[in-house]
Amino acid sequence: MKFNWKPYLLTLLVLLILFPFVYLVLLSLASEWRFPQLVPSYFGLRNWTQVLNSETGLLESFTISVVISLSVAIVSTLTGFFISRTVAYHPRKHQLTLLTYFPYILAPVVFGACLSFFFLKLGLFGRPVGVILAQFLVAFPYALIFFSSFWGEKTKSYEDLVATLGGNRRQSFFKVLLPIAKGMLLICFFQTFLISWFEYGLTSIIGVGKVQTLTIKVFLFIKESNFYYGALSCCLLIFPPVFLLYINKRYVFNKLI
Amino acid sequence: MVFFVLIGVVPFAAALCYALGYSLGLVGVINEGFTTRFWQEVLVSGAFFKSFFYSAAIAAISVFISVSLALWFALQFREELSRKTLSFLIYLPLAIPGVVAGFFTFQLFAKAGFFSRVAYHLGWISRLQEFPDLVNDQYAIGIILTFITIVTPFFLLLFLNVYKNERVQDLSELATSLGATPWQVAWKVSIPVILHKTWTLIGLYFIFLLGAYEVPLILGQESPQMLSVLIIREIKQYDLTKISEGYVVAVIYTVLVSIGAILLFSRKKRKANEI
Repeated sequence: MKFNWKPYLLTLLVLLILFPFVYLVLLSLASEWRFPQLVPSYFGLRNWTQVLNSETGLLESFTISVVISLSVAIVSTLTGFFISRTVAYHPRKHQLTLLTYFPYILAPVVFGACLSFFFLKLGLFGRPVGVILAQFLVAFPYALIFFSSFWGEKTKSYEDLVATLGGNRRQSFFKVLLPIAKGMLLICFFQTFLISWFEYGLTSIIGVGKVQTLTIKVFLFIKESNFYYGALSCCLLIFPPVFLLYINKRYVFNKLI
Repeated sequence: MVFFVLIGVVPFAAALCYALGYSLGLVGVINEGFTTRFWQEVLVSGAFFKSFFYSAAIAAISVFISVSLALWFALQFREELSRKTLSFLIYLPLAIPGVVAGFFTFQLFAKAGFFSRVAYHLGWISRLQEFPDLVNDQYAIGIILTFITIVTPFFLLLFLNVYKNERVQDLSELATSLGATPWQVAWKVSIPVILHKTWTLIGLYFIFLLGAYEVPLILGQESPQMLSVLIIREIKQYDLTKISEGYVVAVIYTVLVSIGAILLFSRKKRKANEI
């Protein structure tokens, strides 16, 4: 009989996927874990309670990260949706799309470093609004490229039909196009939220250490060799996206299919 | 259209012009006027080329291994991975950003990390120093491992989607009914169809990894450094005379990446027109 290795490999794959999540949670609960100990000397909720009651500023970082990411996601999804229509129906569509790709594929941190002079002159350096604007400049091209597949012959014919039946452009947008694009808008919102949520380099350049998002905090804790608080910040950084992915998969993808 | 130009084009053009101006001595606190000195210094020192080839090698190796792994998993486990729980689980790695992946790799593979402790208790090492250098090492093993961990799940999901949408299953069954062996079906039908549909994204990921910042910042070594780390180190250093050289590297990197994008998307457009 032929040996079936697939179940073992699948189990290993599942363990590998879950391992980072479990390990980071355990590390956030650990303390005084020195080499060569295989298990930590202390294991409990001390780090979490200390963080909630102390001045580490992790909760403030979580709040500022949520505010920045929500702002970037909302603005880039809406502007991306509306402006992608103009680009998609433009005679020079391919050239314009190519222009969109340039800021998108450039490393955000290099883009930020080259733009930092202008942010300084505009008084946006070290301010949350500056970080939101900088991240928007990276998230917007993504949204534009994302929605480029939405506009085509089918949507054009819907718009034409509305016009033939006496509807104006506003009605065409709000009564027809927006309802059709609802699923894509949600996915784009989640994706741009994640782009902003995961951003480190650009935030460190434009925020100059004053805008301390969660990714900045993780780095600060790594520099201080405070790995337990680092792991705790990592947990705060990865579990909201897990929740978003669940919502995305459960309510958006399934309805789209 | 005005908004598109203002948001999509002007910032990129402004960033490139500023970096170019700085690299040519036209702007900057201590620069005194047009000069090609900084360009000559960067090109002669070879630091850029060293960093570029180092980054390109890391990106190419990571993309190659990730694509191979993802293709293998997609072809071997497509039915199992479409089941309810597993179809959600394979999305989970997408929730891990580069900074967390770098931190996690450091925790596992550092000299005092998890695997070092396991090796000690198994009797494989007796001192911390005996554990091999797997992070901040000269072969960038930690960086490559992290890139593979981040990129493989994305390619796996992409290939599973392409397999379904391009009806690779039907094509494979047709090839089998015409007498093809499983090996021929994989190498002559499934893999070519999947790669043909996804090579632009594979190329894009190579460019993304080329400019990666967080992971090499945590897991990289002092020299050579990956491109983004080198650029930021030069631009942010206290020696003001070296900042212009950082902008030279930034301009070369931007131009190369832009040429890469033009090549990728002009070929894609040509293919689309041919079809």
